[in-house]
Parts: sequence; C-alpha cells; structure tokens
Amino acid sequence: MIDPAPALLTTAWPGLALVGPGLDLQSSFTSTLEEFGLSQAAAHLLWLPLPMLLVLVAAVVGVLVNVWLERKISAAVQQRIGPEYAGALGVLQPMADGLKLLFKEDVIPKRADGLLFTLGPVLVLVPVILSWLVVPFGQNLLISDVGIGVFLWIALSSIQPIGLLMSGYASNNKYSLLGGLRAAAQSISYEIPLALAVLAVVMMSNSLSTVDIVNQQSGAGILSWNIWRQPVGFLIFWICALAECERLPFDLPEAEEELVAGYQTEYAGMKFALFYLGSYINLVLSALLVAVLYLGGWGFPLPVEWLAGALGQSVDAPLVQVITGSLGIVMTVLKAYLLVFIAILLRWTLPRVRIDQLLDFGWKFLLPIALVNLLVTAGLKLAFPSFFGG
Amino acid sequence: MTVFCTLAGGGAPAITALQLNAGAIAPESAVLVALLACLLVDLAGEEAASRWVPPICYGGLGTALVLLALQWNAPLEPSFLGSFLADNLAIAFRGVVAASTLLSLLISWRYVERSGTPVGEYAAILLAATLGAMFLCGATDLVSIFISLETLSVSSYLLSGYMKRDARSGEAALKYLLVGSAAAAVFLYGASLLYGLTGGETSLEAVGVALQTSATPVTALALVFVLATVAFKIAAVPFHQWTPDVYEGSPTPVVAFLSVGSKAAGFALALRLLVGCFESFDAQWKVLFTVLAVLSMTLGNVVALAQTSMKRMLAYSSIGQAGFVMIGLVCGTEDGYAAMVLYMAAYLFMNLGAFACIILFSLRTGSDRISDYAGLYQKDPLITLGLSLCLLSLGGIPPMLGFFGKIYLFFAGWADQQYLLVVVGLITSVVSIYYYISVIKMMVVKEPQEASDVVKAYPEISWSLTGMQPLRAALVGCVLVTAIGGILSNPLFTWANSAVAGTPMLQHAIAASESAVAALG
Amino acid sequence: MTIASVTQLICFVALSLTLVLGALGVVLLPNIVYSAFLLAGVFLSVAGLYLLLNASFVAAAQVLVYVGAVNVLILFAIMLVNKKEAMAEIPGLLLRRVLSGAVCLGLFLLLLRVDLTTPWAVPGPTPLGEDATTLIGIHLFSDYLLPFELASVLLLMAMIGAIVLARRDVYSSDVITGEAADQGLIEKERTPLLLESPPRDTTLLEKV
Repeated sequence: MIDPAPALLTTAWPGLALVGPGLDLQSSFTSTLEEFGLSQAAAHLLWLPLPMLLVLVAAVVGVLVNVWLERKISAAVQQRIGPEYAGALGVLQPMADGLKLLFKEDVIPKRADGLLFTLGPVLVLVPVILSWLVVPFGQNLLISDVGIGVFLWIALSSIQPIGLLMSGYASNNKYSLLGGLRAAAQSISYEIPLALAVLAVVMMSNSLSTVDIVNQQSGAGILSWNIWRQPVGFLIFWICALAECERLPFDLPEAEEELVAGYQTEYAGMKFALFYLGSYINLVLSALLVAVLYLGGWGFPLPVEWLAGALGQSVDAPLVQVITGSLGIVMTVLKAYLLVFIAILLRWTLPRVRIDQLLDFGWKFLLPIALVNLLVTAGLKLAFPSFFGG
Repeated sequence: MTVFCTLAGGGAPAITALQLNAGAIAPESAVLVALLACLLVDLAGEEAASRWVPPICYGGLGTALVLLALQWNAPLEPSFLGSFLADNLAIAFRGVVAASTLLSLLISWRYVERSGTPVGEYAAILLAATLGAMFLCGATDLVSIFISLETLSVSSYLLSGYMKRDARSGEAALKYLLVGSAAAAVFLYGASLLYGLTGGETSLEAVGVALQTSATPVTALALVFVLATVAFKIAAVPFHQWTPDVYEGSPTPVVAFLSVGSKAAGFALALRLLVGCFESFDAQWKVLFTVLAVLSMTLGNVVALAQTSMKRMLAYSSIGQAGFVMIGLVCGTEDGYAAMVLYMAAYLFMNLGAFACIILFSLRTGSDRISDYAGLYQKDPLITLGLSLCLLSLGGIPPMLGFFGKIYLFFAGWADQQYLLVVVGLITSVVSIYYYISVIKMMVVKEPQEASDVVKAYPEISWSLTGMQPLRAALVGCVLVTAIGGILSNPLFTWANSAVAGTPMLQHAIAASESAVAALG
Repeated sequence: MTIASVTQLICFVALSLTLVLGALGVVLLPNIVYSAFLLAGVFLSVAGLYLLLNASFVAAAQVLVYVGAVNVLILFAIMLVNKKEAMAEIPGLLLRRVLSGAVCLGLFLLLLRVDLTTPWAVPGPTPLGEDATTLIGIHLFSDYLLPFELASVLLLMAMIGAIVLARRDVYSSDVITGEAADQGLIEKERTPLLLESPPRDTTLLEKV
C-alpha cells in the first residue's frame, strides 16, 4: 500500500543533488552512466534502487551489531562473558539467532485470524524501514532529502500502533490483546511530547529537513550542537524515543511477568523475527535521529573546514571530500551507537514502570514540560536570534 | 493592527500592510474572555463556580451586546483579510444569538445545579457554541464558515448529551452527532466543489464571481449540498428528523438555545451563502426553498398537534416557525429580509419565554407532559399567564409581538406574489393556534378537581434558591417584551429595516432582482 | 511518455484501486474489525494520492492524524467493547439494503455525469513542492488567521466536553441545596399512563 512511496518521493525530488559542498555520489554515478550512452532517465532509474538497497543492508547489519552489543553489554553488566563460541567474541551469534528463527516452524494458532496475524508484523516493520528515507549520513548521503524530513518520520511511526493492535487482536489471546492495546496507548501517548520536542528543534533550524537541521548545527563543531541549546528537549526526545521503541524501562507491552510476552506471545519463526527486527531497527533509527537532531549529525566535534584549513587543503578537493564524507558516516554511526550503548545500560539499571506510572509520566509530566520547552525556545529565538536560529 | 508578511524566495502573494481590522470581532472577544474566565473559576470547585460563573457570563454577554450596538452602522470594512464582515445583518443576527445565550443561561442555572452536573463547564460549552454561532453570522469565507459551523455543532452535541446519566440525553447527543457529522461532510463536499470552481479561492465573493460563469451541473450539485447543510441547521423538513428526538432528550435550557440561537445562525448562513453567492442561481434555490418552507410549515404544525410532551410539541412548532421565516428568505425583497430579521428577534423573546415557563414547571413538578399542565391556573398563575402569552404570540394572535412579525412576513410574501407560501402559512398558522390554545385551555379552564395529579401535588412557590431569581427575571422580561413589544413594535420595524439597509450584500441582491423585474416588465 | 510519468500513472492506478476497494470493504464487510483496519488502508492510500499531487506535508499530516490518531482511536473503541453478540433481526433488511444501494448508485451516477460534463481546468496550478509547507504557514497566519484561531477554541471545547462527559463522578449533588442528584434530565421518564397506577417495584422490594 505504501510501498510506492520511496520510489515516488525520489522521483518527485531527486535529492538535494546539486546544493552544497560534499560528496555527491548520485551526480557522479549518473554522469558516468551517461558517458556510456544511457539516457538521463535511464541512468536515474538505475541509480534509484542503489541507496535504498544500501540503507536496507545497513539497517539489517546495524541490527546484527546491535544484537551482539546487547548480548555482550548485558553480559558485562551482569559480570558474565556472553556469547563467545560463534566467531571471535561471539560476533556471529546474531547470525545464528537469525538463522534459527528463519528455520523455525511458522505457527499460526488455530483460532487466530490468519490474515491479520500475518499482516500485523509486516505493518510494524514497514514504516520503520521507510523512515530510513530521511536519515542523513552526509550532505548528500541520504535516500531522499524530503522537505518534510522529520515530520515524515513522526507520521510514519504513527502507523506502527495499527500493526501492534492488529497482531494483538489476531492472536485471539487476552495477553496479546492487552499487550497490543498497551503498546498502542503507549506509543500514542509518547508521540505527542516527542513531536513537541522535535518541533522546538525545527523552530530553531527553520526547516523540517534533516539535512538543514544538521547544517544548522555545523558552525562551531561540538559547541554548536543542539544538545546545548535544547537540553530539556534532548531528554524528552530520548525518553520518548525509548518509550516508542518499547525499551526497558518502558517495555510494558511485552512485560513477561504480567503479559507473558504481550502481542508477541503467539508468534514464532519468521513472524516473530519481524517484530524482533522491527524493534531493533527502530532503536538504531531513534539513536540516529537523536544524533541528527541534537548531536550534530555527521558533524565532527571540530569543524572539518578548520581541520582542512589547518592542513592547508581545500575543502572541495576530491580526496578531502571522500575523507570528510567517510568521516561523516563514521561520526553518525559512532554517535548513534553511543546512544544505543546508553539504552542497553539503562535496560539493566532501571526497573520497569507500571502502566499507570507510564501514562501519568507521559501525559502529566512530559507533555507540559515539552510545551514549556517549546514556548521557551520560541521566546529565546525571538530574544537571541543569532543563537537560536533567526 | 497590520500584518507584514515577507516570503523569502517568493512563490506566494506578498501580503503587505493589509488591515486586519480586528475590532470587528470585539464582541466575540468578550464572549471568549468570559469563556476562559468560566473555565478558570471552575478550577476552584463547584461552590465557587456556582457563585462566580453567572456574573462572568452576564458580564461577557452584556459587553458583547453593548459592543454590537456600538458597531451598528459603523463604516464597513472586511476584517481578517476577508474572513469576516460585520455588516448590519451580521450584527443583528449576532445580537439575536448573544441575547438568546444570555436568556438561556438565565434560565439554566437552577436546572443544571438541580441535575448535579458541573455548572462551569456547562456555561463554557454554551459560550463556545455562542462563539461559533456569532462567527457563523459574519463569516465570509468557506473555511471560516466551516470552522464556526463545527464549533457551534460540536458544542451543541456536547450540550445535548450533558445530562450524562440519562439515556435519553445520551441518545439525543448520539443522534445529533451522527446526523450533524453527515451534514458537515455534505457541506464540505459542496464547499470543495465551490473551491474547485473558483480555482483555489475560498472567499464568498470569489465564489459568487466564479458561479456566474461556471457550468450548470456542478454548481447545481454544490447548491444542493450547501442547501442541505443550511436546511439541517434550521431544521427544515425533510432535514428535520433529528429535531424532535434531540429536543426531547436534551436539557431544556439547551433546547431553548438550539431553537433560537442555533437557528438564527443558520438563517444568517443561508442569507450569506444563498443571497451572497448563489445569486446567479436565484430561481433554482428559491424554488427549493419554497418546497422546504411549505413542507416545514405543514409537517411541523400538523405533527405538533399529536404531541403529548411539551418539549416535543415545541420542537415541531419550531420546525413550523422556521418555515414561516423562510417565506422572507424566498421573497428576496427589502421587506422580506427585514421581516426575517424582525421575526427572528420576536421569536427569540416569545420562544425563550415559553421555555422559561416550561423549565420552571418541570423544576417544580419534574414533568413536561402537556396533560400534567391541567388546572395549573389555580396553583401557579405566573407560569399560566407567561406561557399563555408566549404561546399566543407564537400562534400569532393580534396584540402580541409574534402577530406583527408574522403579518410582516405574510405581507412581504404577498407583495412579492408568493401566494402559495402565504396561503399555506395562513392555514398552518390556524392549525398552530389550535394546539397552542389547547394547552392554554388545559391550564386555565379545568375545574380544580380535574387538575392533574402533578398539579394537585404542586409544591409551595418559592424563589429563594440561588438560580431561581434569574429564571424569574428572564421569564418576566421575555413575557413583557412579548406582550408589550407588539404595541410598541415601531422601533423594531425601523431596526429591522436599517439592518437590511446597512447590508451591502442584501442591497445588491435587491437591486439586482428589481432590475430583473423591470427588464421583464 | 517518460519513466516518471509511467511511474506516476502506475502509482495512481494502484492507489485508486486500493482506495476504492478498501472503501467498499469498509462499508460492506460484516466484521467491524476488518472494516476498521481497511479504513487505515483507505487513509493511507489517500495520503499516497496527496504525495502524487506533490503535497507531501498534507500527506504526512493525513497519515499522522487519520491513521495515527483517528483510526487507532476507532480500533481502541472496537477492541475495548469487542463483544460478539447476536444482533436482533432487522425487519426488511434486504429491502433497506436495496433502497440504500439504489440511492448510492443514483448519487454515483449523478456525480459521474457532473464529472464528465464539467469542463475542468486541467492542468491545474503548478505544484509548489517543498515551498508548500511554508505557504501553508503563511496562509494560516494571514488570510486564514480567524479560522485558525477559532479552531483552537473548537478543540479546547471538544476536549473539555469529552472529559466532562467521560469523567466518572464519584458522587453528584445539587450544589445549592446539597441534595443528591442523578445527573439526568429534570423531566423524569415516566411509564405510560395506563400502567401508572400500580407501582412497578413492589415485587422487587418484597424480594429485598
């Protein structure tokens, strides 16, 4: 249903291809193909699937790394060793896990609603993957610089509850239904403060586009990152992102002690793997967006222009471009995995909240704070336009 | 106040230094301030709310009425860049709406407190409905019209379900919500067609211009859709099905507001849309409205005969009354419009007076059945007198205010050769007099031993409880205006005429129709 | 025909088919849960159509509001009261269905006729693309300022009203007199006249 969207978006807006400095793979790729005699449209068509495939692979690899990290860090926190036989330091363990899930029998309970039961996990996963459209790894290193950037992510993440409700309902099991309802309630409640926190950032950068938001933080290296101007917004966003990903301390929808495993109870095999994949991709995605919105995205703590100047190189030189581009990717991933590390540590240090505490916290604390934060940001923007975006 | 907008990069029309002219909505601002004050006061608890909310509401609505009076005949300028126009027509109808809210609130306090529902929120929601209705009277673009219509409607749904533990109230709210939402959807469909015809403009002026040159089928469709919404709001047959059930299940003071304030806003909307926009489809919508008027007058008044519940009877009678007002709309002459305004003002007082009486009766007896009114004259002369005068006025018996309103409508219709409408109006008036009088007969003529059980057990008359005094004031005020207003109706006539004279839109339409007649003759 | 326009055409056909079939499913399916889920599909395909029209902001807003909020709320309502109960037979159901179907068909034919006879101004104005978001903002704060502000009153009242109606009052009483109140209409529902004289609750009282 929404599958045409990425193709469509890229057709409508072929990237921010020619604006700004930095690595522009698309134009070099298409111009190379055109030199071989292909038409411009055909070259573009050949280009289109490449970044999508690349990002899809990156997302899945990111999940594998994430699973490994989760196991290793959890083990370290509990003073265990964790996986160690599958590959060096157990790096192949996630692959083994994935293969196991792939080969498991795909059970559909007899009294369950087969169609919805199958569709649910898909609806959970697809919006998460679609959201990778707007994650930038560099000035031109993203699938599509849609003008509505972060808003697209917020909108897409609101589809997820439908999938959760669907799988909860289709399982024909009261724990599943309760888990699905909880998941949907939680994700709706925390989406509002999340959106308000994003709005404050958007207000400062005068744009919804993720690229513009990063560019606005690129003036003075680490000092110009949004985390200094939006400390409260950063905290709100991070808490809400954890709640949206159903990470501990907010993993009520699958709280084992209360609901067996919530909406996942009846799932096995590949369908369960889809949930698993979805939740980890979502975690990496949220971490990446925190990096983009608050930690300067692909920016190095020292501005690369300064470094290049100090080394006596021009920023536009091809070699420097390749180096800064790679540095950008490394920085983005590094920041994201730092946040993932924090999320995993939080998992083993904080107890789970109760459902009423969760909802109270969201509606009665985060929402007012987020509103105040928005108001203060607006006031500061009017008072100090040079610091808070003119 | 001025708006300076500069758009980097261009692509939009640069709007520079255009007058917002926000003074035009000063009355609405007063209502809004009162609304917010009610909500804030309500935070202090029920006792504080019941003490402070009434004066706040009187203050807000009184200020609004004074500000409206100050706007009368003021130099005309579109405000909010063409979203709102405070011409005399709008001011007159906004005045009717604000006054109907004020009177409805006066008769509500005791009713709401007695039922144990929160007073502060009740007043706030009613004020929001007023706000929507007042904006609807002056809105001049499709978006403003839709939003104000929705503000009015959503508040009305909430109000009709306000007695939340009562299944009838819940049923009324649900029915109103479902039918109202369908009507809103139909309006949006029609509005989107109009938007498409203008090529991306929403102001009524642009719509009117576009309609003069556009193809017939699509405009006819838009006309029908828009007309259905208007007919729903004024409860014209066959768009009336919601009325009896909603009126029966809603709290009585809310019914009082719905039957006057909401309906006045509906008529203002009808004038704005049909006279202002669909000028080039004059003949078509007049035919449609003639049918609606005949059906409303007939069905409303005939079915009212068979009712046993007072509220239901007044519901059907209000359908019939709307039919009378439509005669003025169909005429399209200066007298016709003036008669509409006059009749709405008269209807405000006589209908709210009747509602004040039946609220008082139900507060004392807990009943609204017509048969329970038997022999009331012995126990409560005030209600008997007030209700009799108001019902006589509603029926159009000579010395009352309603008589002059109705005769003016019929006169305007006759002068414009709407013989069918006038004849149907006269016949149904007679029918309506029958059922109005039978209530009066029930109250007055019965011997003491034939009085109903309820009246036999009538409680001691006491005005000591908080909230009874405002009810008495509203009752006496409405009855006085209804009774004496008829004799002193000359200022009302001049007022209604100047409302039409001070409205360029209506003047334009009148001039156009006169020139058309001259060309024919 | 360029590749872009072919892509657009394919997308349009796919989206329209989903939209129409989904909408029919919403109306015709007997299982209300399926209807609700299909409604989400319909909303999503409408968002897709907006995307095709280069209105990405509107599309995202459509997804956020209709799929993320309205539809989830509908699903919540359905799942919280999901009782499978046998509905009473509605008399003349077939006739009703045929009649409403005929009305719908008539309306559809009317719309079709209007659609085919009207000289539409195609192509319409050029899409603004990325500037649309800015332009929406400018409109909201210039010529649509009044409806924008009024909408805030509307939403505030809707919220307060919803809370008032949904709130479970522990007890309620007349503030002035302190008597217990039932939050119902003052005009009490009464049994029809003929049944009025014998009090109905005596048997119950005796049992107690």
